[in-house]
Amino acid sequence: MNLEYSGKESIPASKDAVWAFITDPANIASCMPDVTDSTVIDPRTFDAVVGVAVGPVRGKFKFHVVLDPQPGGDRLNLKISGGGFGSVVDLTAGADISAETDGSTTLDWKGSASMRGPVATVGGRVIDAQAKRVISTTFANVKSRLSPATVAEPA
Amino acid sequence: MSTTIEPTPTPERHAMGKSMKRKEDPRFIRGHGRYLDDFTLPGMLWMSLVHSPYPHARIVKIDKTAALAVPGVVAVLTGEDLAAHNLAWIPTFHGYDKQMVLAVGKVLYQYQEVAGVIASSREIAQDAAELVDVEYEPLDPVVNPFQSRDDKIILRDDRENKTNHIYHWEVGKREETDAAIAASDVSIKERIVFQRCHPAPLEPCGILADMNPATGRLTLYLTSQAPHAHRTVVSLVTGIPEDKIHVISPDLGGGFGNKVPVYPGYVVSAAASVVLGVPVKWIETRTENLTTTGFARDYHMDVEIGASKDGRVTALKVATVADHGAFDAAADPTKYPAGLFGIVTGSYDFPTAFTELDAYFTNKAPGGVAYRCSFRVTEASFAIERGMELLARKLNMDPSELRLLNFVKKEQFPYPSPLGFVYDSGDYHMTLRKALDMIGYEDLRKEQAEKRERGELMGIGISTFTEAVGAGPSKHFDIMGIKMFDSAEIRVHPTGSAILRAGTKSQGQGHETTWAQIAAEELGLDPQNIMVEEGDTDTAPYGLGTYASRSTPVAGAAIAMASRKIREKARKIAAHLLEAAVDDVEWTNYKFQVKGQPDHALTMQEIAFAAYTNPAPDSEPGLEATYYYDPPNLTFPYGAYIAVVDVDRETGAVKVRRFLAIDDCGTVINPMVVEGQIHGGLTEGFAIAFMQEIVYDESGNNLNTNFTEYLVPTSLETPHWETSSTCTPSPHHPIGAKGVGESPNVGSPAAFVNAVMDALAPLGVQHIDMPLTREKVWHACRQAATA
Repeated sequence: MNLEYSGKESIPASKDAVWAFITDPANIASCMPDVTDSTVIDPRTFDAVVGVAVGPVRGKFKFHVVLDPQPGGDRLNLKISGGGFGSVVDLTAGADISAETDGSTTLDWKGSASMRGPVATVGGRVIDAQAKRVISTTFANVKSRLSPATVAEPA
Repeated sequence: MSTTIEPTPTPERHAMGKSMKRKEDPRFIRGHGRYLDDFTLPGMLWMSLVHSPYPHARIVKIDKTAALAVPGVVAVLTGEDLAAHNLAWIPTFHGYDKQMVLAVGKVLYQYQEVAGVIASSREIAQDAAELVDVEYEPLDPVVNPFQSRDDKIILRDDRENKTNHIYHWEVGKREETDAAIAASDVSIKERIVFQRCHPAPLEPCGILADMNPATGRLTLYLTSQAPHAHRTVVSLVTGIPEDKIHVISPDLGGGFGNKVPVYPGYVVSAAASVVLGVPVKWIETRTENLTTTGFARDYHMDVEIGASKDGRVTALKVATVADHGAFDAAADPTKYPAGLFGIVTGSYDFPTAFTELDAYFTNKAPGGVAYRCSFRVTEASFAIERGMELLARKLNMDPSELRLLNFVKKEQFPYPSPLGFVYDSGDYHMTLRKALDMIGYEDLRKEQAEKRERGELMGIGISTFTEAVGAGPSKHFDIMGIKMFDSAEIRVHPTGSAILRAGTKSQGQGHETTWAQIAAEELGLDPQNIMVEEGDTDTAPYGLGTYASRSTPVAGAAIAMASRKIREKARKIAAHLLEAAVDDVEWTNYKFQVKGQPDHALTMQEIAFAAYTNPAPDSEPGLEATYYYDPPNLTFPYGAYIAVVDVDRETGAVKVRRFLAIDDCGTVINPMVVEGQIHGGLTEGFAIAFMQEIVYDESGNNLNTNFTEYLVPTSLETPHWETSSTCTPSPHHPIGAKGVGESPNVGSPAAFVNAVMDALAPLGVQHIDMPLTREKVWHACRQAATA
């Protein structure tokens, strides 16, 4: 089964700050929900173990994430592949990044996921809600990490 | 040998025709049945399979390391490992194709078996199976036979012919049929799809393979509907001599055709036991059963019927596209690639007919002839019964009148059908008229008319099907070359009890009772004291097993004939004891007596004792016989079913208010057992009509992998069944029986669908493909409302 998602997110930080943040695998891994373990392989790649509970499908999925920042600093492509207990999930996403006049940054993103195996069976009913939760949590975490209060505080 | 025997002329039957309680039920209802999973052997290991998440992909690499590192894991087998023993592929049952045991090179459907993990416990094997790391290179899947047809993606690169087309089959007169339809006053044409569904027996498949290194003997405890056929296949595939293979099929929790094929789990477990020298057990999960084992149907049928304006049918044409999945594993008789689909002219006297079928590979699970379908008779019956309903509507004629006008007449039997069968017997008019009377058809039509006035949706659906079962005569029927006879062996003990063994295998049909009743009837013995044993290849005579409603037509006949052999020997013993000439001794009222002297009579029990204590001087001691029965023809059970439904146009809910099934299966051995078979089959037919479908999405994902997605009706959904019968005995069967196990599944889907379409007729709805879910019915009502 194939699922398509898209949206626009406004981040209260400068484009440069957003770009620097989202092109760092360690940051992305830390913003994804339910990550129990992550390993940064190189500056563009990381592996993550994610706890998944979709209907009767419960357990750990292993994902390989590749960030592909496009020259110019206006677009980030992302590829996630992996799965677990007989299921396979492939996700490709891209975000156009633009600076707003108020100093914030907009991410205009679009992603498509394909699923196979038991996870696809429950997909129609449950995956959609789960996927939306993952996406919204990830962006919420990104926003929270980049909000002026957080950035201003010493590490 | 060809056999023509008169049915036993007995005015009042001794054991047959009586609703004797099933002898097997006390152990089942008390939990004392012994099913495969109840078997445990010392030192037994467990096997668990690794399945492909992809419907179509190249296997780049299989890494066993992590799985092998788990404590308790003994071995991990892949297709490459099996290939080293020439076991990577096995032949399919009709012998025209082969199928992978564990995938080599490519996977061809989602959940295909890729590796087997053998471990000390079921849990360890399952956990370790998750750790087998398989790297795939996904390929575009083909999940639709019409897409498969263009050959843009070739699925089976192992085959010489680089096409997805498996075969073309046709029978009848194409030009004559086309011309007759073109010249008809009226004609109908409709694409009728019999959806992919699954038999889903409550007990899934499994094996306990036990290679004894000391004796060199391989014992296979197997969920098998055909134990002897499985023994022969194992011998042919492995080269193990057949005497070194012992198949035991214990109590089976349903089969419905699902337990006929040979599955990868069987082969991997047996291979592992042979290599490791210890017992290896594999019990399928529900998901494995639904996603990998023998599915049913997936026929896309274009049905055309021509008729005169007064309603006489002139010709029938059916062109079918069949989706066989990744391998051509439909276990049809060798000469019948499309099974007995030629029965598609049904109960009607078509002057001419033609049917053709093209089968295609797709990236879906293989199978195709399961689920109580008598080798594609279900598909054929659905096609013709829907077609007749559409014709009745086109003619603005009552569907019962159309049927009565076109039925094969009683005096036309034996009736040669235009597609090559010779129907044995029937009285279709009598049976339908009985059904119309019993259900109160005229009153129902009046009620329907009143309801229609009020805008309520009520429908009445008729199905008057004819089956072809009892495969089959050796000149036409074989599975992998083995002729489709069946067998019985009966040994009468000195005190007049007996043991009866047959080549069949009950999965719930009640053979332990009905086989005993046949022998008891023929021998004048007490059926309670005839023990029936099936499923053990060391003891049972060779037979092709139980499926396609063949047990009573074939093995039932063998039991009667073996009994008659015993009776002939008993006559000689009786003559010796009565001091009369053999020709002067007659079998009357279940006793041997000197002709005309009822007080000079002996019971079979007395003769049995003499057979061991006082045998006739010129005959062998003992009293037993074996008979291998080669039927002279198929049998043709039929029925008239009527469904009455109410449809809620606001919710799409269909309420089956009444369902009457009148079956004619010839001579009835046990009316209660027949009624039980009818109830079970109607419930399955109801499930197919309203609930069940195996759906693949466009990416090749199987979306019905468990009982939350693939529905089995419970007592809450199941309607009340009304049943009755007529009896036109088969003239060529020793006891006149025709078989009944599959009739209700064959006949009922069309009655349900015809009833719903009749209810929706005022909205202009012509046809909806099964299953008639609330959603589909609701959409049809909505579309009609907005049109």
